[in-house]
Amino acid sequence: MDDLEGVLKAHSFLAGLAPEHTAFLVSCAKNVRFRPGEFLMREGDREDTLYLIRQGTVTIEMPRLGGEPICLETIGPGDVLGVSLLTPRAAHLDCRAREAVVALALDNACMHRKMDEDPRLGYTISMRLLERTYERLARARLQHLDVYR
Amino acid sequence: MMPVVGPYVPRAMTIARATRELADVFTYSFDTPAGFAFRPGQFNMLYVHGIGEVAISISGDPAEPQRLVHTIRAVGTVTRALDHLGEGSVLGVRGPYGSAWPVEDAKGRDVMVIAGGLGLAPLRPAILQVLANRADYGRVTILYGARSPSELVFREELQRWRGRFDVRLEVIVDHASRDWFGPIGVVTKLLDGVPVEPDDAVFLCGPEIMMRFATRELEQRGVPRDAIWLSLERSMKCGVGLCGHCQLAGSFVCKDGPVYRLDRIAPYLQVREL
Repeated sequence: MDDLEGVLKAHSFLAGLAPEHTAFLVSCAKNVRFRPGEFLMREGDREDTLYLIRQGTVTIEMPRLGGEPICLETIGPGDVLGVSLLTPRAAHLDCRAREAVVALALDNACMHRKMDEDPRLGYTISMRLLERTYERLARARLQHLDVYR
Repeated sequence: MMPVVGPYVPRAMTIARATRELADVFTYSFDTPAGFAFRPGQFNMLYVHGIGEVAISISGDPAEPQRLVHTIRAVGTVTRALDHLGEGSVLGVRGPYGSAWPVEDAKGRDVMVIAGGLGLAPLRPAILQVLANRADYGRVTILYGARSPSELVFREELQRWRGRFDVRLEVIVDHASRDWFGPIGVVTKLLDGVPVEPDDAVFLCGPEIMMRFATRELEQRGVPRDAIWLSLERSMKCGVGLCGHCQLAGSFVCKDGPVYRLDRIAPYLQVREL
């Protein structure tokens, strides 16, 4: 548990969180590993996990029937995957480990319970997820503009 | 120095070498007359006889002024006409004009170069000058964003720079298939993975939207506006600040630019009418 708490603290998404909050989240977290090519999430899957990437890169891709998927973005150490924790829904993209990936997996149902129990923690996590979502939205918009054309 | 024949008089130069970079991007090299010199970031007016003139940044090595190099994308009437020329064709060349990247002033500092698409071309002379005097600078970081892996310009040179132990080069593309092993996303995302210090000298060139995003990200990371330089593109005609076509607020991009320090033009980048 102590080790896991240290790992949680070290991830940029949770950095600076009150020590009691980090300790409170430990029971929702586990260390996970993915081999290259393995999927962290597939389109249509219920998003029941928030991943905090520690090592390796993950490709976010749009699958195509009978064709190569379109790779939309890569994310790496320090990034977060599964921001729909706030509004659980089915994944709309595939997320594939491009190389060996080490991540912290936070169980969404457990996170919701903790966030309900401690609204201060709930607020902090929600704000951080919103910030990450906003950053990703801004990048997606810039990408959509296709400025290099 | 080359004798001055008047700012509007082009000098005939022959295309000595033509290289295809991409389907719509090509590089022409010219043997220059004795005394020709330029500073990184400057541009020339290239004249296609009977068609017209266009401002194009110099993409060659400032240490080899005897070889003038321009890398051009065929997008308009003049650049498409340029694309139809080849080795041995004669062009009119006026210049060099405009301001330069402050490569000398950046000595002793870490240098970060951020390029998007063909924006790498005007930055190439600055990169070459920094690398030729590598010991005079701190950390050198080059961040380059392109549309896709097949649209990277200066590919061989990128590989050479990546092979150096004293330069950090990161390349990102907007879209790619699975056979691309580099990062995918916008160029500003690369800033997450490299050290960015307030006293870095940052040279930035690419589409204006990309530069606005990048300057915002740099400022969020504590880089002050007086440490960021960017190269602007406007419709340039005379090249000497007389005709007013390229006016940007109180300055003329052809004369006072194209390279500006951000604190001097930041307010104007947000004005829609400019």
